[in-house]
Amino acid sequence: MDTLTTIDEMGFAPALQQQMLEDTTSDHALLEATRTGDQDAFAELVSRYRNQITSYIYRMTNDYDGAVDLAQETFVRVYRAADRYQRSYAFSTYIYRIATNLAISELRKRKRRKLVSLTGFFQQSDGGEPQELNPPDGRPLQDLELVDIERRNAVQRAISTLPEKYRAPLILRDVDGRSYDEIAKILETSEGTVKSRISRARGFLREKMRAYL
Amino acid sequence: MRNNNCELIRRELDELMLDEAASGSVSEHLNECAGCREFHRTQTKLRQMVGSLGTVAAPADFEFRLRARLANDANGAVPFGFASWSFARRGLAMASVLILFAAGVAVVWNMKQRPTSTVAEQNPPAAVPRESPRQQIQTPAPPQETPREFRAAVPENTPRTIRNERPVQVAQRVKRPMSSVDFGFTPAEVVGRDPAVVFPIDASLQPMRVSLDDGRGNAKTISVPTISFGSQRTFTTSNTQKGNW
Repeated sequence: MDTLTTIDEMGFAPALQQQMLEDTTSDHALLEATRTGDQDAFAELVSRYRNQITSYIYRMTNDYDGAVDLAQETFVRVYRAADRYQRSYAFSTYIYRIATNLAISELRKRKRRKLVSLTGFFQQSDGGEPQELNPPDGRPLQDLELVDIERRNAVQRAISTLPEKYRAPLILRDVDGRSYDEIAKILETSEGTVKSRISRARGFLREKMRAYL
Repeated sequence: MRNNNCELIRRELDELMLDEAASGSVSEHLNECAGCREFHRTQTKLRQMVGSLGTVAAPADFEFRLRARLANDANGAVPFGFASWSFARRGLAMASVLILFAAGVAVVWNMKQRPTSTVAEQNPPAAVPRESPRQQIQTPAPPQETPREFRAAVPENTPRTIRNERPVQVAQRVKRPMSSVDFGFTPAEVVGRDPAVVFPIDASLQPMRVSLDDGRGNAKTISVPTISFGSQRTFTTSNTQKGNW
């Protein structure tokens, strides 16, 4: 009896073969393999999500080094809890939920420590974090790229002044482009609440970014 | 009505993706309503600006650091502290603390419920004002075996007071269980039938005098007369001397 060496030799229909290949490389399958001790499978998961998670936490906390640490902590928790993972949600929902919880926890810690920027002179009237005084410069800039960088910095600062309950859904929707349904699952709330919070967050941002619009 | 319609249109615009086309009714409304058109313009620009933030790349050594961290965890270098304990361990620690607390409460309660053993504890301290040490008079220790009648006349634990003086604090003494023996029906031993037996009693006939100082410089002398126990008879023997009864 000959030994089959490739999936083609098994004689499945092409559609089924494709599905089986996708299954073996899906997030769920990689996590299953991680559970059995396959380090390469976990490395593949990390390479898929490291940039997304780092970027998401950075948008939430506005601190790159802290975001990298929290992203690593997210993967550590995924690795440790691989045995308890349930496939009821998509893996992306699962890992984003962990990242969101860590980011919100970090924001609350900062609030307790009252970390205030040395240049943050103005406290927001809506109870948000202090926003640095950085009005748009009316003079013409020589480089369009500089304009773009300055505008993005202003947006990032404006986002970081949002209350955390508005910040997370706005980033997930407008930066990461996730659906309302997925955001609701990540934040463990209803879709209506997510829509309402995103609308409020955009309203806050529009007021803060009026000079740029 | 118009404001209500604008609100609905804006909500619908808000829920659209950036590259998603609005419905026909929304487009018609935008052509007619300048306010909603301005809202749509600013909202679209804002979302484009937010979306332009893009993704920030993780550092190149991200995986290396993560592997090192996982390896460190696998070697047992778990973070120190209560937060790193497992749920069962935390529960055990909390239970131990609760048991220790309950035991402490029980010990304190037992100590409070223990009966008092001194006279001073039976009498409230507030009723007996403090005196200077020199005003304190030590009451003589009563004999262990006191006749029943005498003990009834002088109740125990009664603080001795001197007339026109503040109460004198009674020295604390341990109240021991007493057992009395009635010698009323026991014939006394007869002594002295043998003329050779002579026992001296050195009893002075002078009254006893006690001088007291009330603490304000006033001295008072109390004279205690000699108590007579009835007729006295001496034995007429050749060895009788003065002072021998």
